[in-house]
Amino acid sequence: MAAEAGGDPRAWLAVDETASAFISRSLSSRPPITLPPPLHRAPLRPGNVVEIAGPSNSGKSHLLLMAAVQCILPKEWEGIYFGGLGKSVMYLDLDCRFDVLRLAQILRNRIAEGQGSTHLRNGDLEKDDTEDEFQSSFENALFSDCMQRFFYVRCYNSSEFTAALKTVQSRSRSEVLGVGIYFVMIDSIGAFYWIDRASHPTRDHKGKSLQSVTETVVHEIRMFLQLQPALVLVTKAPIYAEGSTTTNDFNRDSSKYLLEDSTVSRCSRQEEGRTLSYRDYMPSIWQSFVTHRINLQVEEAEVPSVQENEVLSTYTSEWVQPSLKTKEKFFIVDVRSCYSYFV
Amino acid sequence: MMNHDQPSAKDQCGKIWSGIQLLKDTTENKHFLPTGLEGIDTLLGGGLRQGQLTEVTGPSSSGKTQVCLHSASLVAAKNMGVVMYLDTSNSFSASRVATIIDGSSDLFELGLDLQPKDMRLKSVMRSIICESVFDIFALFEVLHQLEVSLLNDKVNNGGSKMCLLIIDSISSLLAPIIGGKYPQGRSMMISVAMILKKLADEHNLSVLVTNHMVSAGNGAVKPALGESWRAVPHVRLVLSRECGSNICTATVLKHTLKASGRTAKFVVPS
Repeated sequence: MAAEAGGDPRAWLAVDETASAFISRSLSSRPPITLPPPLHRAPLRPGNVVEIAGPSNSGKSHLLLMAAVQCILPKEWEGIYFGGLGKSVMYLDLDCRFDVLRLAQILRNRIAEGQGSTHLRNGDLEKDDTEDEFQSSFENALFSDCMQRFFYVRCYNSSEFTAALKTVQSRSRSEVLGVGIYFVMIDSIGAFYWIDRASHPTRDHKGKSLQSVTETVVHEIRMFLQLQPALVLVTKAPIYAEGSTTTNDFNRDSSKYLLEDSTVSRCSRQEEGRTLSYRDYMPSIWQSFVTHRINLQVEEAEVPSVQENEVLSTYTSEWVQPSLKTKEKFFIVDVRSCYSYFV
Repeated sequence: MMNHDQPSAKDQCGKIWSGIQLLKDTTENKHFLPTGLEGIDTLLGGGLRQGQLTEVTGPSSSGKTQVCLHSASLVAAKNMGVVMYLDTSNSFSASRVATIIDGSSDLFELGLDLQPKDMRLKSVMRSIICESVFDIFALFEVLHQLEVSLLNDKVNNGGSKMCLLIIDSISSLLAPIIGGKYPQGRSMMISVAMILKKLADEHNLSVLVTNHMVSAGNGAVKPALGESWRAVPHVRLVLSRECGSNICTATVLKHTLKASGRTAKFVVPS
């Protein structure tokens, strides 16, 4: 500032850019992202941090995989439109429950769907052998191309997690990972909660408490986002305090969930007259870092499905931040989500 | 549980895998180990998968230990690898294993029917390592030793590597410590879970654990070990058996590849 003191003060008041130039620059460098339903209701851009919360088995990891497939599929491949983003995904597995076969299933399904629609359009009902071969080699080539864009790291404790975030940053800087990372997925953020809570910061440990771990994580993700704007999707399972009574599923009688304290923010939901209140267990520095929140539930409603011996569960999702006061239902049939309707 | 005491050194980050590498590793190294009980194998999609943690839960005498004994026997009899059976309540029964092997219809395919009975039984028993574990600290000790010996490649019985680790039942070790108002109990539970998943993935083990049921209020029952444990296993099955019958029903609570809610029946021969 001192150096510029001799400069023309009027230059300071000169316009840098107009608002319309700003918006068009912003939209081109950080374009809006459309994720598969039910994540599509809120407008998302790179730099947003989306937290997908819900009890175990409510479909959180499934949503992550659907979003990952959306990202790694190209927009168009040899003339067939897939509508993907064609960019890389970095998946940080803290739960260590990722199954690559499931990702492969979902990806192959999307590829087949994309192709199937072409066939219908061409009115091509008869297939001969050569076309089958061509089709499968096409599928395999596209499949490999997409899988090259999916990156995966396992972390067994918080130190490995923070080390992984730092490594991802430094590799991104040196462009080793090729196409820039566009989605960062963390499954799930509360995985080491109990371990971190029970570890006491001692003189030697330099404070590996929950608070300091979360601060480091937020810091590292911020640094990464400054380097490379990406969309961050995080899953979170609720944690229940010691000594509280809980029920597995949200059943008829009203039950209160006493969750671990540590923060102020509280979201409550009204559902058919019952009140369930959550209290977040992540430190406030994480809560203020998250820009979007969606809650998932699963209901044990008995919906008969096509195959016998199978009961389809109904999943519901609700955007909490930004608060859209509606809930949506969707089904997960083996590999696809049959996205359904508003409640 | 053992935090590394490195004040200034950075911890090593695990390897960054690409999708293709993951798929290759899964296809080459992570196979399905059949349990020998047809209904269960169908529900599981082939059997107990290496690299995954499978939980079998259910009320008492619903067939959980039988599932463990059947898997151990079949894996050992088919020479798929070494089985480690961690027993918390002296439920392992060598005579039961012998009955299972004798009754197994796969014997003709195995070519073992030509061997005399005791020879056959000896070779199967050599592949099953059974240890009694009565508390959580003993479990940590055993798992730590297992990790060290797997790293040094010592668990070799005639050249085969360990492929199946059974803990029957893990809930009797964990349930006593997770109540109470201090977080250490749950921290130990999650640490055990992480160690088991790490062993499963790095050494291509399939880990099978059993859990019991507790009351959920209103007369209902739910699996023990609470909500924090729900997120741990890759695959969860619930067993039930009607009184006096030897037909058990298994239901999928969670599976990485298939929808939950599917059921199947299987017979536990008495």
